[in-house]
Amino acid sequence: MASEDPCFIGSKTTVRGQVSGKQDVVVEGRIEGHISLDSHLTVEESGTVEADVEATVATLKGEVRGPVVATRSAVLHATARVAGKVKAPSIVIEDGARFSGEIEMDVELPADVVPGNA
Amino acid sequence: MANTVIGSSIVIDGEIAGEESLTILGTVKGKISTAQSVVVEAAATVEADVEAQTVTVGGKVTGNVTAREKLELRPEAKMVGNAKAPRIVVADGATFKGNVDMDV
Repeated sequence: MASEDPCFIGSKTTVRGQVSGKQDVVVEGRIEGHISLDSHLTVEESGTVEADVEATVATLKGEVRGPVVATRSAVLHATARVAGKVKAPSIVIEDGARFSGEIEMDVELPADVVPGNA
Repeated sequence: MANTVIGSSIVIDGEIAGEESLTILGTVKGKISTAQSVVVEAAATVEADVEAQTVTVGGKVTGNVTAREKLELRPEAKMVGNAKAPRIVVADGATFKGNVDMDV
């Protein structure tokens, strides 16, 4: 969805609580709490997100702590520092990105693989 | 440009704190504090206590507003709450209900 006025959290701003909406959000500052977007979330290099994240596309270049669920794709860029679970049908981790946690891509597992034993 | 814009379809329920200017086009509930200016645009809804250097209201604000320098209510502003600022401007057409404290 195209957003005529993108939402921008500047580097000297902290948002605590619930952020929800249908337009793209760019974070250069800090968000703590819960993010629920029907759109694209970008966490820039200077950005910090400590939140449960739901978005269609998550572009992560900064620090992210918390489960990230993207309905389309999640990209961890080289500068990203991510901890927590990342769930998306398509996930990219670039060379240099730091990630500790769990990846879930919602793939169909072969019959002889029992889910939950990972 | 180092400032924050809360877009028109964004809803924030919680607290925004910062040291840069803040423009609100969407909805913010809770608390807002910044060292710089806060602008509540015409379509925006704020249900929060606001503390800033300057506060400009074009939209709907429910809550107490403290501006260290100046509070301005534009013609399309609808504000319910107490206003505290050394300088307060209320434009013709603005609706306002609450106490005014200019610290005189």
